[in-house]
Amino acid sequence: MGRIPLSYLLNRLFTLFLTVFIAATLIWIIPRLSPVNPVDVMLGRMASGGGSVENSGAILAQLTERFGLNDPWYVQFWLYIKNTLTFDFGISTASFPTPVASMIAAALPWTLGLMIVSLIITFIIGNLLGALMVWEHTPRLWKVAIPAAMVFTSIPPILSGLLLMYIFSSQLGWFPLNGAYGLNTEPGWSLDFAGSVLYHGFLPAMSIVVVTFGFWALGMRGLMITVQGEDYTILAKAKGLRKRYILYRYMIRNAILPQITAFALKIGMLVAGQVLVERIFAYNGMGKLLYDAILDQDFPVIQGVSFVIILMTAVAVFLVDLIYPFIDPRIRHGA
Amino acid sequence: MSHDNAAAPETAAPDMTGITRKQLKRMRRFDNPWNNPKLIWGIGLLLGIVLLGVLGRFFWDPELVFTGAGMPRQGPVGIENLRGQVGTWAHPLGTDVSGKDILALLIVGAPNSLYVGVLASLIGMSIGIFLGFSAGYTGGRVDDVIRVSSDVMITIPPLLILVVVQASFGDITLTMMAILIAAFVWQSPTRLIRAQVLSMRESGYVQMARLSGASNMHIMFREMLPNLVPYLFGSFIANVTTSIVTAVGLEVLGLGPQRVPTLGRVIYDAISSAALTQNMWWWWGFPTILLGVMFIGLLLINLGLDEVSNPRLRKL
Amino acid sequence: MSVLDIKNIHIDFPTSKGVVHAVTDVTLSIEKGRRIGFIGESGSGKTTTALAAMRMLANPGFVAGGEVHLNSLDGDTNVLHLDDEQMRRVRLRKISYIPQGAMNSLNPVMRVDAQIWDAVVAHEGGLSQADLQARSDTALDGVGLDPKVVGRLFPHELSGGMKQRVCIAIGTCLTPDLIIADEPTSALDVITQRHVMQTLREMQEKIGAGLILIGHDMGLMAQSVDDIAVLKKGVLVEFGPVRKIIEDAEHPYTRELIASVPLVGGDSFLSAQASPPKGERLDKPLLELDGVSKQYGAVTALHPMSFALDGEEPKIISIVGQSGSGKSTMGSLMLGFNDPSAGQVRFKGDDINAMSAGAKLAFRKQVQAVFQDPYACFNPFYRVNHALKFPYENFGMGGDVQTAMEEACTAVGLDPSLVLGRYPHQLSGGQRQRLIVARALMLSPKLLIADEPVSMVDASLRATILANIHDLKDKHGISIIYITHDLATAYHVSDYVMVLYHGHVVEAGPPKEVIGDPQHAYTRLLIDSIPWPDLDRDWGDADDARAALDELARIGGTPETVYRGDIPGFTLGQG
Repeated sequence: MGRIPLSYLLNRLFTLFLTVFIAATLIWIIPRLSPVNPVDVMLGRMASGGGSVENSGAILAQLTERFGLNDPWYVQFWLYIKNTLTFDFGISTASFPTPVASMIAAALPWTLGLMIVSLIITFIIGNLLGALMVWEHTPRLWKVAIPAAMVFTSIPPILSGLLLMYIFSSQLGWFPLNGAYGLNTEPGWSLDFAGSVLYHGFLPAMSIVVVTFGFWALGMRGLMITVQGEDYTILAKAKGLRKRYILYRYMIRNAILPQITAFALKIGMLVAGQVLVERIFAYNGMGKLLYDAILDQDFPVIQGVSFVIILMTAVAVFLVDLIYPFIDPRIRHGA
Repeated sequence: MSHDNAAAPETAAPDMTGITRKQLKRMRRFDNPWNNPKLIWGIGLLLGIVLLGVLGRFFWDPELVFTGAGMPRQGPVGIENLRGQVGTWAHPLGTDVSGKDILALLIVGAPNSLYVGVLASLIGMSIGIFLGFSAGYTGGRVDDVIRVSSDVMITIPPLLILVVVQASFGDITLTMMAILIAAFVWQSPTRLIRAQVLSMRESGYVQMARLSGASNMHIMFREMLPNLVPYLFGSFIANVTTSIVTAVGLEVLGLGPQRVPTLGRVIYDAISSAALTQNMWWWWGFPTILLGVMFIGLLLINLGLDEVSNPRLRKL
Repeated sequence: MSVLDIKNIHIDFPTSKGVVHAVTDVTLSIEKGRRIGFIGESGSGKTTTALAAMRMLANPGFVAGGEVHLNSLDGDTNVLHLDDEQMRRVRLRKISYIPQGAMNSLNPVMRVDAQIWDAVVAHEGGLSQADLQARSDTALDGVGLDPKVVGRLFPHELSGGMKQRVCIAIGTCLTPDLIIADEPTSALDVITQRHVMQTLREMQEKIGAGLILIGHDMGLMAQSVDDIAVLKKGVLVEFGPVRKIIEDAEHPYTRELIASVPLVGGDSFLSAQASPPKGERLDKPLLELDGVSKQYGAVTALHPMSFALDGEEPKIISIVGQSGSGKSTMGSLMLGFNDPSAGQVRFKGDDINAMSAGAKLAFRKQVQAVFQDPYACFNPFYRVNHALKFPYENFGMGGDVQTAMEEACTAVGLDPSLVLGRYPHQLSGGQRQRLIVARALMLSPKLLIADEPVSMVDASLRATILANIHDLKDKHGISIIYITHDLATAYHVSDYVMVLYHGHVVEAGPPKEVIGDPQHAYTRLLIDSIPWPDLDRDWGDADDARAALDELARIGGTPETVYRGDIPGFTLGQG
């Protein structure tokens, strides 16, 4: 495999840092534009909630010092950026004095796990079905069935989540109503626990998959129609290659390239959808954390969760961009 | 030279014998791309929702959206709730835990959700058209800045920034929410228009217009814009979907307008009051179905528009 | 013995306008080792007939009747009776196909080697890696490509000629009975075209296969094939040995096709006009390039160039070159679409890139253009008269637009009532290009830049359109810069010719000198590479073509300019 051109790498890194920086800045500026400064509210809440906690006075004094509320804005901003980039998001006001970072660290693996599994399943199923919609050798039954399944496309995952939950958990009782694992299973590296995680994760993942595969399928359909008319596909047929080989190595292999770029652009939307699914299924991930924080007006947690999810998205886009040159030789050679 | 005056003289003339009436009908549909069943169905579904909102107010009392409008926890007509009460025609779709009438909530809430989507998308499109043309037509530094910022902004999930906004500002109006969402839906039209303008800029007819001494305004709005119409429509509809999804997402998190009924807000109330465990399916079910119809309508319009602008997707 | 017999074949395409009979009752046989040319204009059914033998018709076409016999098959030889798997085994092993679009016919994400291997594996089953490597090496070596280097490359790293030679390597690697080459050189310039065609002939002779060469260029056919089949609107109008067809064609359509190839020397297709009207007398030259050069990043498209055209007596100045020679860059510099990197382009003494808005409008009115692609020149949103009406009104020409449009259409041989109210897609390429000429005529400019005005128009219409353009000079006193890759038309229409190579003028002078008796190595090579419909002229073999390409490489970056004489009213600067 060739090497990635340096200019390409620098370009992507720049975009990554710019994205993270802009997101962090927005999260900082927005509360300060509000007539009620949530930082004041937050400190007030901490002071009242801290009565029952030992040393609360000292912690609060330290915090006030650290936020430097009397410093000019650029000092405050600098402090904020420095803290954010070191994943120091302060202390939760609702669960005083737990650091936000440790709350996020506990929730993050659940979200990441669910996200990676559901995104990858959706991407593979969606693109495969999209390709089959166009392929001339697809069985007739499939050609009728796949477009019919498209009806669910573009319905947000929260709605499908609600319906699936109602049917399979509430009515049929096949799947649990909430949580990421059973209450009587001990988290750890046991088969029992793994089974419980899969059992609990199935519906949330499915509610994302059933409504988002259509997006990929439709995109793939358009691309496959283009690739089908390309000279190299015609030549592949004229070479007497087997039809499945042509489908995978000539058609899908080329049509998938713009889809991978689209994947990078769409991750943001998909992650946001997942956050909502987690909220509906009361899954122990970032979505639930965010929802609870909104209920409690726990501002440091809202800021921290938002930042980490945006960071995850930006890193995912960066990784896709990084892999892309290995899939498309034209980028690798700077063409 | 006489044969040269007929259209497309190179191929043999088509033969119309042996074609059934059904085929003829299909062919005519092929020739008029706007006569597209998906497009018509999609528009029909959306019109249905608009009509529900407009006509519904004449046939049903919108005041019933308030707390205590009726008996709480009533099921739809003929459906028994957990207390054994059977739903009546007083509240055909039932009531929620505080006695709000579900039908009235739908009549008032559905147009509100659509309104947010359309307004946000309109604003987003206007920004997109302006930035896309500026970037594609001007090029250079302007292009670089617009391109990089749309690349950056497209990866930031709007929902999360909006969560921060709403958590800071508290209650907001529908219009305010639409404007906030619009700040995150300009990127894809910008990218789309920029790419189209870049390719059109080199096209023969734009060069011809330059030769004709056309002003930049003429080239952008008289020569380029009309050819972008199918793309703009498609992008607009896709953005309406995105905007409604974002708005519903915010509402389901309990953010967004607090005092105005929206479909997302109804679902939020239903989930927080454990409607699922109490088997009050009508409370969240009807708004979900209505939103589903809205999204399917939007999807059909978009698929139809795709076929209008790309004849290869059409089947004969 | 014949390899392939096509008997009474009919091919239909159901379309929205009804069923098109793309091919009607065509019968012919292809002998082993013989080369057959299928010639006709676009839509004549030549590709469709050939593809029917491979059962690879584009959707929704189908064979409505007739038989296609591949005589090397066991048992039933009719390929139309084979099942899909049997047909797959016939492709490439018995009948191979070399596609038209050289630029895009290789899978962009696979190395060249791998694209030969998959073909071999599909027909001969799993071979060892060493065997496969040996097969691809032999195949690439056969077409004159270095297997060690080219085999490891991706398609985007190859030039157009190399890609097409890779396609020939694939098409011949299983020694098929028949090779179908579908306009294999249409995307290549003449020098590369000669090399690729010679490679194809050489390989075909080596494996002794039959060859169907599909094309529209009678000159290329004359240099490449043994027999010619002429198709028109799906009907085989004439079939016979190439000498008989070229020298003594029976069907008028065949004669028309042969006549449409312009020759260097011979009779002109233009009628001479005694005294062209004079242009206005000016103190400053009409158009002047003063040390103009253009760079795109590190690439120099045009080296410093100076010339002056006085425009008093209208002239046609031809700029001739292959793709990448800088000729189109010159065109856009002269129109002010592009700023020069150095130097000035002056129109009547004023720098066109430093004009006020008013002066710019006046400049636009006086300098018009005809571009290569007549399909792209009309905005698909408007009826075609928009393209004529808008500039007329924008320049404030006065007078009645409708009358002016109708007169201009009539002048170029179009019936205004039939074309003006139509949408662009309803007109043929030839009609559109004549409308663009009519547009130029309506605006009566002083100067017209014609950038490859006929290269995308069907051969039979080229002469008419060039005559239209020539009339602009003769009857309307418009000076013309004619930019083209086609030396033969430049020979006939121009008063002065500049040959461009890598952004340098390599030879310049009156056409009788430059094209009739070329002195510079590059000009000679260009003229030698043109395929004429003249059977007694030797096109050379693949080695000659390769030697010529080496010679080109030797000329390299800074060729000398050969001056072949001057004409009054035009001066080419030194350096």
